[in-house]
This record gives sequence, structure tokens and C-alpha cells, in this order.
Amino acid sequence: MIEKLVGARFSVNTLLTFLLISLLTLALLMPVLVMFYQGAFAPFSLFSHLWQTVLPQYLSNTVWLGFNVVMLSLLFGGLSALFLHFLPIAGANYLRWLLLLPLAMPAYLIAYLYTDLFDYAGLIQRFLRATFDWQSPNDYWFFDLRTLGGASVIIALVLFPYVYMITRTALENLDPKLLQASQSLGVSPWRGIKRVILPLVRPALAVSASLVLMETLADFATVQYFAVNTLTTAIYDTWLGYSDLATANALASILLLLVFFVVVLEQKSRSKLNAQSQNIALAQTLFKPHKLMLWFATAFCWLLVIAGFLLPLALLLVMAWQYSDSQQLSLLMTIGGNSIYVAGIAATVALLLAIVFTFYRKFSLTTFRQFPLGLSSLGYAIPGTVLAMALLSTFGPIDFWINDIAAAFDLERPGLVLSGTIFAVVFAFVVRFMAIANGTINTGIDQIPDNLIKAAKSLGSGHFSILRRVYLPLLKPSLLVAWLLVFVEAMKELPAVLLLRPFNFETLSTYIYQLISDEQLEQGALGAILIVIFGLIPIIWLNRKQEV
Amino acid sequence: MLKKLIVAAAMLLTSVSTLVSAADEVNVYSYRQPFLVEPMFNKFTEQTGIKVNVVFAKKGMAERLAREGQYSPADILLTTDISRLIELQDKKLLQAVNSQVIDGAIPAHLRDDNNQWFSLTTRVRNIYSAKRMGDVALNYEDLALPKYKGRICTRSGKHPYNVALVASMVAHHGEAKTQEWLEGVKENLARKPQGNDRGQVQAIHQNLCDLAIGNSYYFGKMINDEKQKVWADAVNINFPNQANRGAHINVSGMAMAKYAPNQTAALALMEFLVSEQAQQMYAEVNMEYPVRAGVKRSALVDSWGEFTADDLSLATIAKHRKTALMLLDKVQFDL
Amino acid sequence: MATSPIIDINTLDVVIDEKAILNQVSFSLSAGEILGLVGPSGCGKTTLLNAIAGFLAPVTGEITIDGKPCFSTNTTVAPEHRHIGVIFQDYALFPHMSVAENIAYGISQYDKHSQQEKVKKLIAMLKLEGFESRYPHQLSGGQQQRVAIARALAPEPKLLLLDEPFSNIDARLRNELMIELRQLLKSLSMTAVFVTHNKDEVFTFADKIAVMHQGHILQFGHPVEVCKQPCSWQVADFLQLGSWLNATLYHDKLDTPLGLLSINNEFDRQDNQIALLIKPQHLKVMVDQHGESVIQHINITEQGYHYIVAPVSSKHDYQLSVYSEQVIQIGQQVQLSIIEHDYILFRRDNGMS
Repeated sequence: MIEKLVGARFSVNTLLTFLLISLLTLALLMPVLVMFYQGAFAPFSLFSHLWQTVLPQYLSNTVWLGFNVVMLSLLFGGLSALFLHFLPIAGANYLRWLLLLPLAMPAYLIAYLYTDLFDYAGLIQRFLRATFDWQSPNDYWFFDLRTLGGASVIIALVLFPYVYMITRTALENLDPKLLQASQSLGVSPWRGIKRVILPLVRPALAVSASLVLMETLADFATVQYFAVNTLTTAIYDTWLGYSDLATANALASILLLLVFFVVVLEQKSRSKLNAQSQNIALAQTLFKPHKLMLWFATAFCWLLVIAGFLLPLALLLVMAWQYSDSQQLSLLMTIGGNSIYVAGIAATVALLLAIVFTFYRKFSLTTFRQFPLGLSSLGYAIPGTVLAMALLSTFGPIDFWINDIAAAFDLERPGLVLSGTIFAVVFAFVVRFMAIANGTINTGIDQIPDNLIKAAKSLGSGHFSILRRVYLPLLKPSLLVAWLLVFVEAMKELPAVLLLRPFNFETLSTYIYQLISDEQLEQGALGAILIVIFGLIPIIWLNRKQEV
Repeated sequence: MLKKLIVAAAMLLTSVSTLVSAADEVNVYSYRQPFLVEPMFNKFTEQTGIKVNVVFAKKGMAERLAREGQYSPADILLTTDISRLIELQDKKLLQAVNSQVIDGAIPAHLRDDNNQWFSLTTRVRNIYSAKRMGDVALNYEDLALPKYKGRICTRSGKHPYNVALVASMVAHHGEAKTQEWLEGVKENLARKPQGNDRGQVQAIHQNLCDLAIGNSYYFGKMINDEKQKVWADAVNINFPNQANRGAHINVSGMAMAKYAPNQTAALALMEFLVSEQAQQMYAEVNMEYPVRAGVKRSALVDSWGEFTADDLSLATIAKHRKTALMLLDKVQFDL
Repeated sequence: MATSPIIDINTLDVVIDEKAILNQVSFSLSAGEILGLVGPSGCGKTTLLNAIAGFLAPVTGEITIDGKPCFSTNTTVAPEHRHIGVIFQDYALFPHMSVAENIAYGISQYDKHSQQEKVKKLIAMLKLEGFESRYPHQLSGGQQQRVAIARALAPEPKLLLLDEPFSNIDARLRNELMIELRQLLKSLSMTAVFVTHNKDEVFTFADKIAVMHQGHILQFGHPVEVCKQPCSWQVADFLQLGSWLNATLYHDKLDTPLGLLSINNEFDRQDNQIALLIKPQHLKVMVDQHGESVIQHINITEQGYHYIVAPVSSKHDYQLSVYSEQVIQIGQQVQLSIIEHDYILFRRDNGMS
């Protein structure tokens, strides 16, 4: 009888949880829905004009850019993770976290620095001309960074740490006996990696690749800098040029569906693999690498760190040295404080929501349980400005309702409660970067053996108790990584904060953007360094504390 | 954990309600970068005690204003291009400002017939030429001549400054002729459209091309920049079409938001921006051409000499904007 | 109260992915009884364990634990409220907790002092002194198992479920450990259900045996009874009670490759194709140059020589097990004879090899 009551209460709980989760999901999904809705009213004429003129080329650029960046990121991140895991690389202790640092480098910044460096007028080509006495571009060949290929390499240089980090975690959770087993079957360790390890870390590769893909396709500033026209170019053209927000939304919807399609396809094709070993790999003993091989691997890892982080940082430092003064520094500290404030709140909120969504997926018995996690991740694939526009369209009506309700109760109208506030900025960050937190925590949770949870249940633990005593302690590294990633991304985010912020509110990214857009990065170099440094603090702190 | 969460939420909420604007403030939504207008604002605050709050974004300010509707805190909008002003007007986001001070300062052809928008400065779309070419008298039409094959640099054709130029070509020559012209220019490009106006001058300096399209004030700014001076030194600034209709000009402008909550303060700021003092600052700091008669150009700008401006109305240019964009797509100018 | 079963399972059906995994499973156990669930892999024994624990929901049926309905058409008690202890094949110790913390996990609602008392008691009981502050990865397999047992026993469950508890234990220690654990459970009067695919474990560890096949419990009872009278050929086959001999039934005579046998037990005479179960002790082997059988394989065991014998002629097909003190060479022809006993007959069906 008592148990029946418990059962009944449970179902009320279930309903309440369901409603709460649905509400949260809906809130995060709102901008996407608004985007779809507005896109549905797109006039066909403009679309067909675009289709007949530039869209096919944009589309092909988009697909190639996505493909290239994903492949390069997998190559950079996957190989460096494998090398570090299996080979005694020189400086491995430093490389472990140095390889994460390019994440702190905003893509638009590195794009600027590298085009500046490699352009015809850049340092490298000037030096070559001076050295070999070439006079004009016709005298020699030099690669053009402002191409699809150049953009792909540069974007991959700052996105590969996703692949590196997630793959490395997956590798460390694999049982080194697997490779021994394969070795005992007469398969060389390298081929063993191909046949055993890669299939097992494929889920990790897939998760990170989809993060990279979404981030690439949502990018505008960088590709514009490289003069590569993609679907996002079309989105901006239709919106700002043709003043046709509906078509812009329709195009953004197409972009989103494209990403969604790729991600779902990948998930479908992937078999369920559960790596459930807690062993720390002793894998390095398995390999007797050739000296040349070791040299190559070491150089590969260090080059990535140099190209993705150290060199751009050095360039910034030189600029800052030449152009900055102490007055600027104090201004930047205030602005930096703003950045940390909004990014910190956004990271915390995203983390808490991701915990709710992943655990709902894990614990709920309803068939609906997968959806909150997936749906709340969609915002990642929307270009920041489109997302900001959708949020304006979302918050506007809500603010109107709030005022109408206040008026109905004879209260003073509160004005805009959501639009143009820090809340709006934080909300945009959360929607935009939810996917990162979701993905990281979900991967972590899948690596916790089911039996542990069953054991906890059989010992009388309810859901919340299991969450607190088993899941959260075991997930600590994943939680920290998730928080860190969202924080760093939010520090770098530009278009949403630009459009949604309140009066007189600058972040480091908006500050630098103003200067970059006026070709005066030199003036903003110090700010750029601050973005990078603020992004570094958590990475270094985490590394000391937790061996990320 | 929960406690921290509540504290965070509370902090969030308090930060939300910092928007309440006092009587002696004025709120500006700006398409112009703050550091270009801040000197004027500071002067204004100094003189009147009215505080100026700014949000700057290059994109989307019109949408933000539209969504905020009657509750928008925005009083004044600043733009860098005529098309943005017309867009705001078309979306019915502006209100008429009837001020003798403003009307007296701005020539009629540089403000709206219904007093909904006003130009603050004008700028010319110049053609820069390499010094090594010597003196050249150029028309925009000449950029399509076969002799300039592989010698022209420009930023994206879709940039508002270029779109306005193309729109003026449509207004003068019609759609078909303009398309031909665009195809010719595209054929002559030394490289895919990229970068900004300064980048094109830099390219001339580096021998990548001989001719570039760019706004007038950049030339002045580059001359004043330590690093960029060498670029500017490599080029001559040319005012096109001087033998016929005159050079294409664009404007930066201002307007009052339809639901401006601080109308008095807003009006004060608008009148200040057309005052001799502010106009002088525009001329000196930004190297633009002041709209107010009698205000002196900066000495540097003045040294470029007098020029004839195309007297095509701004409204006409805005009207042909869409056609211009479609033509740019059609000839795949940026691809 | 004494007569009421600790666990009572009634017509349980479990369906996973539209496939019936458990089919009308029923049994009950009294306090202190240990049940061994055996059967070939995929027979549903682990599923049954999971259903009892509450890790998966049956479609229909009833599960009652210590008089408390835990599952029926309108009740589902969550695993955490069933008061059962579970010991997993991989032990599932919490890697982030020490031995003492693992053991105390299920009794966190007690006050600190009682917790410490209880943990101390269990540490002593399972001979884990000195390991209290170690972490699971610092322990051997056997030690891990002890911790798992201590952890499961701490909340004093009514019922203990063990999933292949001995499969990760060194064979040399296994028997010893089984006896030790059995004594411990008996001393606590603990009711237990354990799953294994090893029939020898059942005979050492269990009071009752349930033989499962394709989601059914084929036979449930005391191990001795089940060995004596298997109710189907699958039971006899899985328990390896003897070897099979094909035979044909004519009235009260059984025609086997080893000669005619008289039978008097009741049997359905409709079907005369018979499988006769021959336990090794019911066979005699004699060396005979003209014998119809031949020694195919010899196992040396502590009970003597264990011979696998096959027919010489290809007309017949059998492989019989027989023990003998006598030394016989492989390939030697022999004469087999069946000692008269209560013959165990089954209808032959397609599943038999």
C-alpha cells in the first residue's frame, strides 16, 4: 500500500520534471523556432535570384570549408592526442595543456594576424622579396592565405583542441590491454591503433568533429576576412543588403538543417560502443618507435602549439609593446572584468542546464528523454548575429507582454526587462554554447559503467543521491572541462554580445572588434592578449588542479 | 551549490535593472564606432551636463529598435551610410524633428523632405591611383576599360559604400549598362574583392594593383598613421567624373527614434552635432566633409582641392540599392 | 511468518526490444535458502536477476520480496526501495571512494558512529582489516569481491543477488571462497539468488537450483532431486548428467545400439523415437577385440580413467562417458553394457544433437 503511494507520487514527480525540462528546452530552442518561423515567410523571388546567381557557389564553399576544417581538425587534434598518448614525446608534460591553448585564440584574431603576416605586404613576403631581390608578385609564387584552403587551415588551427581534448580523454579511458591483445594477435601497434583504438574512440572523434563543424559553419567574421563567401555570406547579404530578414532566416534554417542532417547521419551510422574501463593507459611501453618517427611526432605537436598559439601571441606582444600604454591597461581591466562576468555566469548556467539535460536523458523512462539534450544543442550551429536577431524577436514580444500585464494590474510599466540587458547577453551565450557543455558531460556520463549506478540503486540511493554521490564526483573532470570550454568560447564571442548588450557595456571582444574593423589591431593588441590570458587562466588552473 | 546559484541569479537580476534612464541622459544606437563620435559626445556632456549612453553595432541596430518598439530606450540613431537611414525610415522607426537650428545648418538636399533624417557629414567615393601612373583624370566608367585589366583593387562589392556607388551608376546609366560596367570592372580586378578601403591603398603601395576605390577620409587618416603613411604616400587621391556629373558622395547621418524617451535631450544633442563646434570636430578628427556651410575642412582635406559632387539625390540612390545588389550577385562580383 | 517466502515470483514476463526474454517465470525461496540460477548463455538468467533487483521492468507477473509487493500490474517499487543487495560480476566498486566509504555507501542515513561500527564489523567479518582506506584499484580481485560483499551486506538486505560472483576469481581459490561465502551467508540466514553458467558452483554453493532455458525455468528444486530426475533432456544436457543414446521403443522393450533393454516405467508410447540418458555409473566397459565400440578419448581424473567411447560402425552415432580403473588404449575396441536401473527416457526432438 505504501509502495503504491510512492509509485503515485513518483508519477506526479515525473510529470513535474517533464514539464520543467520541456520548459527549459523550449526556452533554449526558442530562437531556433523563431528563426524557422520567420524563415517560413521568405519571398521566393529573392531566393530564386540568389539560387540563379551566387548561392550554388556559396553552398559549395560552405560544404568544402566544413569538410576541410573537420578533416584538418581531426588530423591535428587526433594525431597529437595519439602521439602524446602512445609516444614518449619531448616536453609531453607541457604539451598536454599547451595543445589546449589555441582555444583561447579567437578565430577572427588569428585570421587577422596571419593574413597580416603572410600577405603580399606581410613580413614574410617582404623578407623574401628583400632577400631574393624580387620586384613584383609575378616574380615568384607564394601561397595565398585568402583562399578557401587558407581559411580552412587557420580555422582548424584554433578548433583542433576540441578534437585533441575529447580524444585524449577517450584514449585515457581505454583499456591498454586492448592494444596488447591486438599485439598478441600479431598486429603491430600502429595497425592496432587503426583497427582497435580508432574504432573505439570514434564516438569521441564524432562528438568533437560535430562541434568543430557547427562552429565552422556558424562563423562569419573569419571567412569574411579571408574573402571566402559561404552560406553565412548569403545570410548577411540578404539581411543587411536586401533588408530581407525572412530570407536571411530561411537561409540560416537551411544551414542549421544541413548541420543537423550531418550530425544525425553520423550518429545513425555509429554503432553503440561502450568503453568502460577505468584504467590509465600504460600504453607508451607498447611502442618502440623509430627515432625519425618520434622526431616527427614531437615536431608535429610542437608546431601545432606554435602555429595555433605561441606565434600569434608573440605577434600580439610585439604590437602591444609598440602601441600600448598604462592608461589603456586600466581601461582594459574594467572591460576584461565585464567579459569575465558574463562569460562566467554563462558557463555556470550552461553547466547546470547540461547536468539537468544529461541526467534527464539518463534517468527518465520516457521516450522523450533524448530530446532536451539534442534540441538544446542546436543553437551552436546558428551564426551569432542570426541568433542575436532571433533573440531580439523573442525578447521583444515577451517584454511587451510583461508591460501589458503590468498595465493591466495598474502597475508602472517596467520598460524593457529582457532586451538590451546582461540577461540577454548571457542567454545568447547559453543558447549558443549549450552544445559544448551537453556534449562534454554526456560523453563523460557514458563512460561511467552502468553497474556502478545499479549498485548505488541496490544500496538504496535515489536519483538525487546517486547524482550527488556517484555521478558528480566521477564526472568532476568532465564538469570542469565543460565549464572551461563554455567560458573560453563566451569570452571570444562577438556578434551576439555586440547586438544585445546594454548601453556603455564593452567586453574585450567588442573592444578589439572595433579596432580590427578599423584596421587598427595594433591599438587593441593589449586587449587581445587579455582575452587570451583570461582564457588561459582556467586552462592552467584546471591543469594544475585536475590534470584535465 | 544552490546558494551560489541563487546569488548568481540575484546578481543577474540586479544587473538587469540598471537601465532606468534619468532625465538628463540621452541614449544613442550607433552604427558608427564609438571612438569616432565620442569626442563630440564628451564635449556635449561637458557643455550641457547631459550624459550620453552608447551602444554600437555595425549590424542589426534597426532590428533591435524595431523589436523594442515603444519601450525602446533609444533616442538617437547614428549611421554611416544613406541606406541605413532610409531603411529606418521605411520601417517607420523614426520621427520628424522640426528644428530651425538643424534646418538652418544642413542644406536641403542633405536632409529628408519630412525631416526624419539628417546628414552630418559627406564623404566622396574616390579612385586612388598609384603615384607611378602620374596624374590621371578618371571617371567611374573608366574602371571597366580593358587597359586596366588586372590593375584594380576593391573591397567586397556588397559593402554599403560600393553598393551605393553601383546604385548611382544604375540611376545614371540604367540596369543593362551598369551590368556591363560591373562585368568590365570584375574583369579588371587584380584580386578577388577583399579587405577594407585602407587595404586597397596598401595593395597599390605593394604593387599589387594601380587603381583602387576608397572613401576620402581614409586617405587623411592613413597619412596621420605612423605605419600606414607609406601606403598613402604611394597613391594620389582622385575625384572622379569631374568633367561631367561629379563624384559620388555618401553621407553619415542621424535621426530621432520614433519612441525616443528623452526627446528634449535628444534634440539638444542633434542640434549640437550640427553646431559649428561639432562640425569642426568631424572635419578635423574624421577628415570628413562637414555639411554645415561655413565650417572649414581640415587643412589636409582642403589640400585635396575643390571638387564637383554628383547632385543625384540620396533618396534616388537608396531606391536603386536593391537593383545594384542583384546586379552584383548576377555578375558574381565577389566570387 | 516462518513459512512465508522471502522472495516469491509469479508468472513473470520480460520483453526487451519486442523479444520475449523471460516467459512465465515463477518460483519462491524461503528464508536462508540459496538459489543457483543456471542455464546456457542467453537463457535469461541475468535478466531475471535484473528484474528482481528492479533494474528492468517486467511486462506482467508479480515479484514479492519479504511479503512486500515490489512489482505487479499496478506497483513498481524502485530498486532503491527493494532492500536487496546486489553483487556484480565486475563488483562495481565506486572508484572514487575508499574501501570504508564504499561499504558505508548504503548506510549513509545512519549516524556517523553507527556507520563506523557497522563498517568495522563488516571489515572484520570479511577479513579486510588494514585495507579500509585503500581504493578499489589498489586491491586484488578477491579483495574487491569481499568489499563488494561487505558493501551489499551493510544495509542488511532481505535478499542478496549475485551475478556470476566467482567468475573473476582464480580457479584455485574459487572453491575455498565459495565455501567461505556460503558459511557466511548461512550464519546470517541470508537468502540469496546467484547466477552462474557453471553447474559445479551450484552444487557447491546452492540449496536450490533453477535450470533455465530460453526464458523458461525448466526445473526448480533440490540439486540432488534435479540430478536424479531431470524433467527434460535440456536439463540433463546442461547439467551434463550423462551421455545420450538413441533408441526405439517397442512395447516394453527399448532397442538401443547396445542391445535390447526391458523397461517398466511409464512413458508416452505414442512416440517411439527415444533418447536414453546414460550416466557413467550405469555403464560397464570390457576390452573386446570384436566389441562394437571403440575408445576415442581418455581423460585422466582423480576418480580414475574417464573414457569417451564411440561406435565402430557408422550405422550408429553416440559418444558415451564411462569411468574405469582399468587402463585401456585409445583405438581399442570394447564391449559396453548397460547396468539395469530406472532408465531416464526422453522423447527425441530436433534440438538434440
